[in-house]
Amino acid sequence: MKLRRSASGIGEWLQSRTGFRGARHALLDEQLPPGTGWFFTLGSVLLALLGVQLLTGAFLTLYYAPTPDHAYDSIRFIVSTAAGRIVHGLHHYGSSFIVVAIVLHMLRVVAFGSYKPPREVTWLSGLALFGLVLAFSLTGYLLPWDQRAYWATVVTINMAKLTPLAGEVAAGVLRGGDSIGALTLTRWYAVHVIFLPALLILLVVLHVVLMRRHGISGPVRPHPGPMTPFYPWQAARDTAVVAVVLATMAAFAWDGAPPLEGRADPTDATYVPRPEWYFLGLFQLLKYFPGKWEVVGGMVVPGLAAAFLILLPWLDRGPERNPRKRPAVLLAVAIGMAGVVTLTTLGWRDSPRNREATAWTLREIGGRTLVQQTGCARCHSEEGLADSLEALTSSRGTEWLAGHVADPEMIAPGLREPPARRDEREVAAIVAYVHRLARQPYPAIPRETEVAGAIFARFCVGCHTIDADGGKDGPDLSAIGSKRDQDTLRRIVAHPTSVNPDAEMPAFGRRLTPAELDAISRYLAARR
Amino acid sequence: MDRRRALALFVNTTVAFIGSALSAVLGAFALGPSRAWQSARWVRAGALTDLTPNVPVPRVLVISRQDGWYRERARETVFLVWDGDKSIHALSATCTHLGCQVRWDTDTTNFRCPCHGGVFDAQGHVVSGPPPRPLDRIEARLDPSGADVLVRL
Repeated sequence: MKLRRSASGIGEWLQSRTGFRGARHALLDEQLPPGTGWFFTLGSVLLALLGVQLLTGAFLTLYYAPTPDHAYDSIRFIVSTAAGRIVHGLHHYGSSFIVVAIVLHMLRVVAFGSYKPPREVTWLSGLALFGLVLAFSLTGYLLPWDQRAYWATVVTINMAKLTPLAGEVAAGVLRGGDSIGALTLTRWYAVHVIFLPALLILLVVLHVVLMRRHGISGPVRPHPGPMTPFYPWQAARDTAVVAVVLATMAAFAWDGAPPLEGRADPTDATYVPRPEWYFLGLFQLLKYFPGKWEVVGGMVVPGLAAAFLILLPWLDRGPERNPRKRPAVLLAVAIGMAGVVTLTTLGWRDSPRNREATAWTLREIGGRTLVQQTGCARCHSEEGLADSLEALTSSRGTEWLAGHVADPEMIAPGLREPPARRDEREVAAIVAYVHRLARQPYPAIPRETEVAGAIFARFCVGCHTIDADGGKDGPDLSAIGSKRDQDTLRRIVAHPTSVNPDAEMPAFGRRLTPAELDAISRYLAARR
Repeated sequence: MDRRRALALFVNTTVAFIGSALSAVLGAFALGPSRAWQSARWVRAGALTDLTPNVPVPRVLVISRQDGWYRERARETVFLVWDGDKSIHALSATCTHLGCQVRWDTDTTNFRCPCHGGVFDAQGHVVSGPPPRPLDRIEARLDPSGADVLVRL
């Protein structure tokens, strides 16, 4: 009793000093027309999603370092803890959830004719917010500085070059320097974490103030009954939908965002860029307009779509809001949406899978055996001078690694016993192994496969391919076991001419021990 | 309880739950690394053949420390002290007064700090001057083969 009285005493005091009850009243007690229902919860969903995005983003800056040397490592550090994986995952999937929610919100507004007078400016501010969200997505995509990030940005900047008259200027503004690098990264980072959020908050406030100024548009046909306050009636619907959406997002984020790809490597010409899924439609559209027509796919079509949306309140005049009596608008939007969905699906099916997949290649597996033979563990171990290979967080480029593997002392002076020198192919296998290990823990792979992997990486990989990794001079061996048995394979490897007199393949009978011949032929025979 | 109050309760508890779940994750994320500690490890400091009984020998060790996503290479000077038999220990070269690096003076067989005249004996005990406590001892041992000296840093 006493407690309650003193609590209400504090409340009275705060009220007299701040007038907070007035603010609460203004925020929560908005009178809504009868018949306001579940369709009107999407605005609150977007507010909640944007709030989560701002919070997780702010916390990610605690550890993120926007430089080409450190960005990738700092993200790897972030996802090295469970909490970090969830926060990063929420931020990653949050962008997709926002894009979906914003499209649904727009479809609701279009279907209900909510953009009609006096709400034209509310509609325009919403469109600006949509554009802002896409800008957030583009700038945020670069920040992890992995292959995916780097090459998607290359495409974005090349598309900016399609801008009529000012293509080079636009690309230069986006790049910051004369190539994509440190200046691009700091620039996109600043835009992503300072400029865009400031604009976003401003526009969200404007959007909500305008919404409150005119009241919500409400159901298409007026329902009978009295107005009800937002809290708790509509608030309960909003909360229920927000809770379901956030729970779904948390389920996605639980294991974190999709794993990083390799560190950005501008020299890797084999990488095929892929944008975030909601840009796949645009990406696909570009493919239909090759050469000088590219500007049609990259600028004209998206520009026309944007112009249609901006002009919508003036194209669809008249007070009628019922969607059944506005077939032209609904048809136009339905065709547009069908186009977007089709292009996105086609883009999804067309998007190439990069080598990064999940399975370890034979060369990478062989690299592990070579690492053990080379004595890397003398320094790279729990007791050693350097971190163990499993715990390596540095992600040096291929050239540095190759140099270090070939001659560790050159790069880490002071080694008393440099390991045995390794030839080019062995170095390549070790580098492949270390690079893969940096992204994915080593799975349990049978010892026999490891031995075969080392043999393959040392002798076969120059001419033969297994699982899309290797040379093209000899036949692909991925399914050789379905054509030859183990005994034949062993003879081919040892003395190719004993099976096929015209064989150009060198004989390995002297270079491999009988045990090694057994191992590689058994492995190949098992490939079906 | 009427409908209005039930809905208000639903809204309030759900919002409170979402808020606390988010705070918990973000809090753990923000505070996590500050609780992490770097485990010490054994580092090779030199060969036993380089040592002379009862004469501290300075060794500059390069220790790589992981600082979040950043790898830092720190240099640290330690003195190895060997009794000529099985016993070996190491002393930090950092003066316990204000952190200058002490040197071994072969004439007086003392450690001397160049900054404020602190003097320590071969075991690291304070002989004179301002240092408040002996030089820090660092664990040391011979590796199993008996050829190398390892210190724990």
